[in-house]
Amino acid sequence: MIGRITSSTMTQQSLRTLQTNLADRDRLQNQAASQRAFRTPSEDPAAAATTLGVHGDQSRVAQYSRNLSDGMAWVTTVDTALGASVDLLNRARDLTAQGANSGALSPAARESIAQELESISAELLAKANTTVLGRSVFAGTSDAGAAFDPGTFTFNGSPGDGVRRRISDNETVRVDADGAQAFGEGADSVFAMLGDIAAELRGGAEVGARLADIDARLSGLVAARGATGARQVQLERAASQNLSTSIDLEARRAEVENVDSLEVLVRLQSAELVFQSALQVTARSLQTNLLEFLR
Amino acid sequence: MSSFAGLRLAQSALSAARAGMTVTGQNIANQTTPGYTRQRVDQTSIVAPGQTGLWPSGLAVGGGVGVTGIARLGDDILDARVRDALATSGFWVARATAASQAEDVLAEPTKDGLAANLDRFWAGWSDLANTPDTAAAQVVLTNAGVLIGQIAAGYGTISAQWRDLRGQVDSQIADVNAVAGQVAALNGQIREALSSGRNANELMDQRTVLAQQLSTAVGATGVVEADGTLTLRVDGNALVSGDSSRSLMASGPRDVADGGRVGIAWADRPDVPVTVTGGLVGGTISALAPAADGGTLAGVAGAYNRTATALASAVNDVHRTGVTAGGAPGGDFFALAATGPAALGLRVVPVGLADLALAAPGAGAKDTTIADRIGALATSATGPSATWSSFVTGFAVSVAGDLQRADIADMGAVAAVTAQQSNASVDGDEETINLLTYQTAYQAAARVLTAVDEALDILINRTGLVGR
Repeated sequence: MIGRITSSTMTQQSLRTLQTNLADRDRLQNQAASQRAFRTPSEDPAAAATTLGVHGDQSRVAQYSRNLSDGMAWVTTVDTALGASVDLLNRARDLTAQGANSGALSPAARESIAQELESISAELLAKANTTVLGRSVFAGTSDAGAAFDPGTFTFNGSPGDGVRRRISDNETVRVDADGAQAFGEGADSVFAMLGDIAAELRGGAEVGARLADIDARLSGLVAARGATGARQVQLERAASQNLSTSIDLEARRAEVENVDSLEVLVRLQSAELVFQSALQVTARSLQTNLLEFLR
Repeated sequence: MSSFAGLRLAQSALSAARAGMTVTGQNIANQTTPGYTRQRVDQTSIVAPGQTGLWPSGLAVGGGVGVTGIARLGDDILDARVRDALATSGFWVARATAASQAEDVLAEPTKDGLAANLDRFWAGWSDLANTPDTAAAQVVLTNAGVLIGQIAAGYGTISAQWRDLRGQVDSQIADVNAVAGQVAALNGQIREALSSGRNANELMDQRTVLAQQLSTAVGATGVVEADGTLTLRVDGNALVSGDSSRSLMASGPRDVADGGRVGIAWADRPDVPVTVTGGLVGGTISALAPAADGGTLAGVAGAYNRTATALASAVNDVHRTGVTAGGAPGGDFFALAATGPAALGLRVVPVGLADLALAAPGAGAKDTTIADRIGALATSATGPSATWSSFVTGFAVSVAGDLQRADIADMGAVAAVTAQQSNASVDGDEETINLLTYQTAYQAAARVLTAVDEALDILINRTGLVGR
């Protein structure tokens, strides 16, 4: 049924249509300017829920990436220190083997070997007390200034799981190494052992038997280094996984939260066109009046 | 039949045409007056006088035209439909406005929202777990301060909105009482005018506009009585009846934390509650209702409180299991005021790194297991982040529903008003044609008058002159 059309109903209708068109244009302009698909969650509750979740995930992935780079710094420091220690201990082994040729060595030569062994011992101690950002990497969670006491070689580290870094929602990785296991502690430590060997050399004793002790320490260091290397690989793998997760999340976020610029532009153009023709039509139809046709 | 009957007939035609032109003029003058309903002259032909004379003539022409009244071309059914539609749309508009205002306060899902701030708070703990030093501890403590500040500010804004709306209910009720009084006064005037046969069209137009205001405000439904008065009812009882009106009053909580419903009652019977289910007042009251009754604002305020409580208990539970660097057992991280809304009662207890229980008992002083576990609360299914996210999602759905219903109700109101206006509004072209018609009728009637006059002139002045 066509109702009675009057000039005032026509004006009202035109105003409403123009308002609708304007609201449409405003929404599209806002989308184009902000590049966001929705202004308030109620415009698209499902997308808003996804966006909230993705934002949380992104924040965590960024955090894990910081944790990973911090963990990498620890692990590489530990690895470098252990590598240098293995080299030093190998040199000490060579020297000890040299010193074991007791008959062929003058007391002066023994003395120089003993001195070198002592300096290696000091150097090893420095390696064992390596720090990263002010924390001893072999002291676990202890807050002691150095992992090993320079006089008594007492281990100051803490027992427990050591220093751990969170690399995913449900995974943490140990990034330090147990100094006591790698270097031994107190009188049993590698530092004390090298000091003892130096003393034995000076005393003219036979040191060939100590080679086995050095080998035992060496294998401990190599094992610690191997474990550290394995952790480094784990961190690297986690880092690359984290990176690809972050790329996936960003793609997902953009897909849900951002608008397709081209699509918005085309829609905006067509809304513009509709609005302009609505204005034209309104102007025409509201101007028409019977009085213009009457004499 | 009198010789002068023709003159009398022409006179009636002239006055009828003049009345038509005047009413058309009134229509054109009020073309843009809000609420004006177009009018028409009601005219009827006058029947020939009965013949009782001694020598009845066979011829009996009617006595011309008579104006019987000026009709108001309104339709009570359409008016009632407009009132019903306005009551519904008023309700949903009030609710949707309150909901979308509350939604704007949340600022989700942007970097300014509470969810993003919670994420920053968790990230701070994770950083502190990496480097347990003073700087990282300050970051965590500052983040915590910002977080509880945001929770309190969000709650504060919502509770201010609640108070504003509560004030609106009072002013709307005051308006309703004033307008109801005006409708009653108009009812009296209209009844008087109609009973004495006068024209009350313009008074009815004014009353229609006021009645629509009442429907928009409190969802009043109306019935036009036989004596021309309009009875308006709210919750089945008369707000306006005849020339008397009753007053409403609002009572109930003054703050969102008070709980309970805002009630409306009759001022003369405060013990009888009035259930207002339509109009702006109805919508506002439903937005102000407790969260359990679907109140929008109380729902948001409740979510802030729940998030505050969840935040305090989740962080405290983990923090208490740790020990500080000094070996002291960890206490509460957040203190929660015993009284008042939880969202306003949060406080950060530790002031520096030394007060933070980051280490598990028995581990080294630099152990940060506890900090890591607090950071991992971000993914806890019962943690504050989950509490808040699930609220935001559910709230978005309910706001979208409110907005959609407001749109539908608005469309209904537009349809009803369009139907009413298409019947009642003045059309310029139509009135122009009417004006032409009446003008032509007037000209023709004048011609009839001239013709009769000329005929009489011949009869009076030219008759009997033969041979003079």
